This record gives sequence, structure tokens and C-alpha cells, in this order.
Amino acid sequence: MAKTYDYLFKLLLIGDSGVGKTCLLFRFSEDAFNTTFISTIGIDFKIRTIELDGKKIKLQIWDTAGQERFRTITTAYYRGAMGIMLVYDITNEKSFDNIKNWIRNIEEHASSDVERMILGNKCDMNEKRQVSKEKGEKLAIDYGIKFLETSAKSSINVEEAFFTLARDIMTKLNRKMNDNSSSGAGGPVKITENRSKKSSFFRCTLL
Amino acid sequence: MEPAAPSSPAPPAPAAPSSPSLSSSSPSSPSPPPAAAPGSAELVCAQGRNLKAVLCQRCGSRVLLPGAATFARRELLLPAMKKKAVAAAAASGGDVVREHWLVRDMFSFENVGFTRDVGNVKFLVCADCEAGPIGWHCLDDKDSFYVALERVAHE
Repeated sequence: MAKTYDYLFKLLLIGDSGVGKTCLLFRFSEDAFNTTFISTIGIDFKIRTIELDGKKIKLQIWDTAGQERFRTITTAYYRGAMGIMLVYDITNEKSFDNIKNWIRNIEEHASSDVERMILGNKCDMNEKRQVSKEKGEKLAIDYGIKFLETSAKSSINVEEAFFTLARDIMTKLNRKMNDNSSSGAGGPVKITENRSKKSSFFRCTLL
Repeated sequence: MEPAAPSSPAPPAPAAPSSPSLSSSSPSSPSPPPAAAPGSAELVCAQGRNLKAVLCQRCGSRVLLPGAATFARRELLLPAMKKKAVAAAAASGGDVVREHWLVRDMFSFENVGFTRDVGNVKFLVCADCEAGPIGWHCLDDKDSFYVALERVAHE
């Protein structure tokens, strides 16, 4: 069968244990089905399909699934990754401080041109907040990385985060392709800003 | 998401290893599509493909677009799709399922989750609510992904 998509991006979720990385992959964070069987073995990765500027993009999203506890995240895990979500918990200062260590880990092991994004998760829990939004923004600016506060529980910015990262990867790819074929055939790849047409990521479109 | 609830007496993992051996009793290549059972007949087109979209029974998440898979028969053992409390009461166990949607390219899926390896098998779950297992993939056959008809909805 012919290929039914335009792009395929491998994305990783990185961050301390308990910051809610796995929940970012749920549509129903609290209502996850979680059979004993499935929660025992754990999820390796998920495939999600999104549409961006009329292009069909397959995202293969990997969750560290607890390996971060043992600091065993190495080159093998990062291989082929085109985008990385760095996740901390706004109610846990330590997880925020560790973002710097995770960035160092990425610089050591991942491809140098991997797209990165910082997410301050659990922003629905404002009363327990330990890390201000400004602090998160400043860190992101220092590293030249995009930043969003998210809540997997309340579905705040989760979809936006994945769309933003996918868009950045796509833009980078298109730029590379243009550079490579600047003397050859084919005009520049046109990227139209049309966010209104985006398909729903975490909501199923019923017919 | 992490370990099993204390209420569950034993990890259900033992149910899984039997699936590869069970499946090996059937022919290695899936049987041809036309012989759809009465129940699945209206779901299969003349070319043996799925006429309707394949959705999660529980949350409606879109797993496959129409035409993305072919009908195939094969006996596979899938662990039960039950919630913790029920699963604990029912102990282990699974169902032998025979009718599947066979997908040849992993990226033909719209939305799906893959469990970690159980022996040489990965089970498929809903990407959105993690209901499952809804399907089966053996690492020895890189180009075959089975989704059990009776564990998904069609629309």
C-alpha cells in the first residue's frame, strides 16, 4: 500500500519520575483504562497522527517509562529522535532544577540538531506551585528553547505542545531540503500558517 | 501507570507467553480474506479490506482509517480486557480470538499504543485511554500487526 503520510517524527519525553510524562500521552488522564495486565508491562511507545498545514504527520512518541530512575537513558534511547519534550512538574522544584541535567544528557547523547521544548506540567495545581511561570520562561530563554506550561489532567496546552514541536521539526526539515536543493529543481516549500485547520490530537473526530 | 494495584493477587504476565506457542499452531501466513464470518461480512470490502474505520470500543479513539487493513484469520490468545478490580477477581485468563485486521506497516495506524515486550510479543492498546490489549504483534514478523475485530468498534 502506498505511504499514507507525509512526515514521520520520532519524539521523546524526558524528565524526572513523577512529573506526568506518561499522562501527557493520555486523552483521559484520570480515567485511563489501566488493566492490570497493561499497567504491569507498560507502554513502550505510541503512534499518533496529526495534520499540520495539510500535511499528515505520524508521531512516534516514546516514554522513558521509569528508566530515568536508574539514569540509564543513553544513546540507544535517543537514536533517531527528532524532537524531545523536557518535562518538569511545577509543584516540584527538584524536577525543575534537573531540567539542566537532562539538557546536558541530551547534548551528550542525542543528535545535535534535535528540536527541544520545555514543559512545566501540572499547571492545574497552582496552589501547590513551587516553580513560577517566569522561572520556567527564563530557563527556556537561556537555552533558546520554547516553553509551555501544561496540564495533562485539564488538557491545557498538551495538544499545542505536540503541534508546536512537530511544526518546528517540519520547518527545520523543509529548510534543510531547500538548502540541499537550492540549485536544483523544485521551488521552495511553502509553509502556510493555517492553524485553524489543525486536526484534533486528543479528541477523536466522530463521523 | 506503574506497578499493579496491591489488590491484584498475581501479575497476569503468565497469560502472555502462551500466545506465541498458540499462534504457531496455525499456519504462518494468515488465511486469505474472502472467507469472512457472517458477523464480519459487512465489515469487509470485496478486496478484503476494512470498510469502516476501526475505533476504540471505550473512548472512540481512531485506530485505523477505512481500507488500512486486510481481514485475516488466525488464532491468537489475548489477555483479558478487564479493569483491575474485575481482573483481580477473575484471576488471569484471556480469550482466543480468531478474526483480525492485519496491518502491514506500523505507521498505517492512526493512533495506537505498543506495550513493552512480553517474550517476543508486543500487545496493542488504545493510544488515548490504553484500553486493551486490542491487538498483537510478534517481533519475529516485523510486518504483521493484528487487531482483533471483537475488541474494537467499527464506524
